[in-house]
Amino acid sequence: MKFLSITALSAAVLIGGQTAVSAQERGGVMTYGRYTDSLFLDPVLNDANVDIWVMNNIYETLINPTDDGLDLKPGLATEWSLSEAGDAVTLKLREGVKFSDGTAMTAEDVVWSLDRARSPDNGIWNFLLASVDTVASPDPQTIELKLKYPDPTILSALSVFNSAIMPKAAFEAMPGDTDKAKAEEFAKKPIGTGPFMLESWDRGAIMKFAKNPNYWGMGADGQPLPYLDGLTFEIIPDDATRILKLQSGDIDGAEFIPFARVAELKADPNINMELFPGTRVSDIIINVRPELDGQPNPLSDEKVRLAMNYATNKEALVQVVTYGVGTPLTSFMSSTTPMHSGTEPLFPYDLEKAKALLAESAFPGGFKTSILTIAGNQDDLGVATALHQMWGALGIDLEIKQMDNASRTEQYRNGTFTMRTGGWTNDISDPSQITSYFAYSPTIDALHSGWKNAEVDQLFEASQKEMNLETRTGQFTRIQEIFNATGPTIPTYETPYPVALRNAVKGFHQIPLGNNIFRETWIAK
Amino acid sequence: MQLATFIARRMLQLIPTLLFILIVVFALVRLLPGDPASAILGDRAIDADVERINRELGLDRSLPVQFAVFVKSVATGDLGRSIHLKIPVAELIAKRLPITIMLTVMAALIAVLFAVPLAFVAALRRGRLADSAVRGAFQVGLSMPVFYLGLILLTVFGAQLRWFPVGGYGDGFLDHLYHLFLPAVTLALSLSAILMRNLRSAIIGVIDAEYVQFARAKGIAPRLVLLRHVLRNALISTVALFGLSIGTLLSGAVITETVFAIPGAGRLMVDSIYGRDYPVVQGLTIALAVLVSFTFLLTDLVQAWLDPRVSR
Repeated sequence: MKFLSITALSAAVLIGGQTAVSAQERGGVMTYGRYTDSLFLDPVLNDANVDIWVMNNIYETLINPTDDGLDLKPGLATEWSLSEAGDAVTLKLREGVKFSDGTAMTAEDVVWSLDRARSPDNGIWNFLLASVDTVASPDPQTIELKLKYPDPTILSALSVFNSAIMPKAAFEAMPGDTDKAKAEEFAKKPIGTGPFMLESWDRGAIMKFAKNPNYWGMGADGQPLPYLDGLTFEIIPDDATRILKLQSGDIDGAEFIPFARVAELKADPNINMELFPGTRVSDIIINVRPELDGQPNPLSDEKVRLAMNYATNKEALVQVVTYGVGTPLTSFMSSTTPMHSGTEPLFPYDLEKAKALLAESAFPGGFKTSILTIAGNQDDLGVATALHQMWGALGIDLEIKQMDNASRTEQYRNGTFTMRTGGWTNDISDPSQITSYFAYSPTIDALHSGWKNAEVDQLFEASQKEMNLETRTGQFTRIQEIFNATGPTIPTYETPYPVALRNAVKGFHQIPLGNNIFRETWIAK
Repeated sequence: MQLATFIARRMLQLIPTLLFILIVVFALVRLLPGDPASAILGDRAIDADVERINRELGLDRSLPVQFAVFVKSVATGDLGRSIHLKIPVAELIAKRLPITIMLTVMAALIAVLFAVPLAFVAALRRGRLADSAVRGAFQVGLSMPVFYLGLILLTVFGAQLRWFPVGGYGDGFLDHLYHLFLPAVTLALSLSAILMRNLRSAIIGVIDAEYVQFARAKGIAPRLVLLRHVLRNALISTVALFGLSIGTLLSGAVITETVFAIPGAGRLMVDSIYGRDYPVVQGLTIALAVLVSFTFLLTDLVQAWLDPRVSR
């Protein structure tokens, strides 16, 4: 009897435990602490991460990135196909999708949204759809894109925020003569197909969303998504205050936890300290032009840069600056970027090799140089201070110049800086964007460094039209080989997104591109 | 009628002052390196995009032309639109400045409530334990950075004791007062330290004066002597100091607003400068200049009331 009851009890606990883990609970409003407020919630005209990362909750795209950011899955389109030549895309629209105002999403809305997104007059993201020649709908359930040339990135481009589907009629009904004017009006009360709708926005303080009663997505329990009744973003700029509010239970989640606090929150039994894999890479960008300020530039000497690279102890930087949260870079792009290649950390620390390389260069005795960092940014200062020490061993005297972002950006864009701390996150799950900024010189002179490699430029242009995945991967592998070995950067580390959540919060995640996904989030009571 | 003309004269003096401030701020913010487009686009900025955006904003025109456009719009009451937030500057200021004003006024009141009685205690018990204790305590408060003190108050009284909310602004007037109490105390501390020291010296100076001895000799009750003669005269210099310190309070508000997550004008100003949001910086500066001038006027009036010699 006893044995049977124990077995029965264990079985019940096992089964009960299993179902308890996957049983989503509905209701409640989740409060998420953000470090700064959004600026402008228009998919096409926005220009900042603070808008991009939250817009997916209001507006949706035809195709969605998978949770790991590496692949694609159906969104507002249920299936799609690429023509043999790669110059046409056909998509089947999901049936029964409604906007948050109850009106049905039609093919006309899709065509209009894509045309708006790809217009060169609108915003800074139209380049993602530059290959598109025409957008048409041969029947109400089908969308056809004809491309000017084969574009291997077109499917990924249709999963990027700027191609989100908006309601044509509601938008055009807005007062104003220009797209910009209408967009500004429309953004006050945005209407999209996403799981949430904007209810109120107290600028700089609180953004409130309510669940979209017309949302098409279904939860695991067969009822419509989202599980939450509402979502509130609270703006808490000070890191310490944000964490304090989370620990006291006032908010349910907090983004951008400083690396120094990660270990502490990991040890907190009430908090789930998540480190979502990201595409964020950090590096030092070096001006490699032959002359700076009328003087010969030591940094233009490849051997000097190699020496600096070997003298930089990346493991130490990871420990000292990211408190072990980051990992050394294995390529200039993050390991979460498709077609990333490289398994070994770049330029492992070797001071003797560094000294030997410098001795072979035109500046064996070292030289005086400077680095631009953001004033008040602890990570920047940490890295620069460590580098000052590490490169001091080579006889390189590094002066640290702190300034605000806009001032540094001006020197950067003018190409008058010597070195600066740099960072990057991808906006598309494809290596083309980061490569065009870092390595392909026509875009911005390879991070405004003046670096140029003809083979890299050629390979990149070819890769933009190469439909064969193997060939394209080979092209990006070779680009990474060249850039990693001779490029104008010192790769330091890549870091995840540190987000702390109360244990009761389930189903939230941030994809490598940075998007905060609340679609399937629920709060356990 | 003398009062009315006094106020009217001061209002008229405000106009050239404002114009001067306008010119300085307009020039200064544009002399800063960087521009709104690259400030917000950051490392994604491509020359073509930056040029187009700056052109759309009218920033490619010469400075005198831009200034003329600006003065014309201000004259018609239009402070322009925020470049990054895409909403009218006037709307933004109307939303966020009152919050900072409320915070500053509360801080000023608390500072006075702390400083005045304690200054008396220190002055009257000069040289003894109470005096050293008061001055010592204020010295500690004065040397603590605002963000540090704010965080301590927030942690202890907010997160742990739950006596006060952990930052934020709240809904409704009384809720606002409740939320602003801790930040106001934080902000008040350094001001009250300065006021206390100044008032203490002033009281000490007055207490030994002849007219006070005379009042005592006449047999007037000590408390009345303190209030009517000592305080009123000692306050004269302190009120002037108080008026001048409003500027310090406003700048301290920036840090306090950040630590306590209050959506005030201090934070708005800093964010707008970082983002090179020219219309907001200009509009906010005008608003603050008017505010500060108004405060000076008030303190001058209080001084004149306290000290009849001033208005003559």
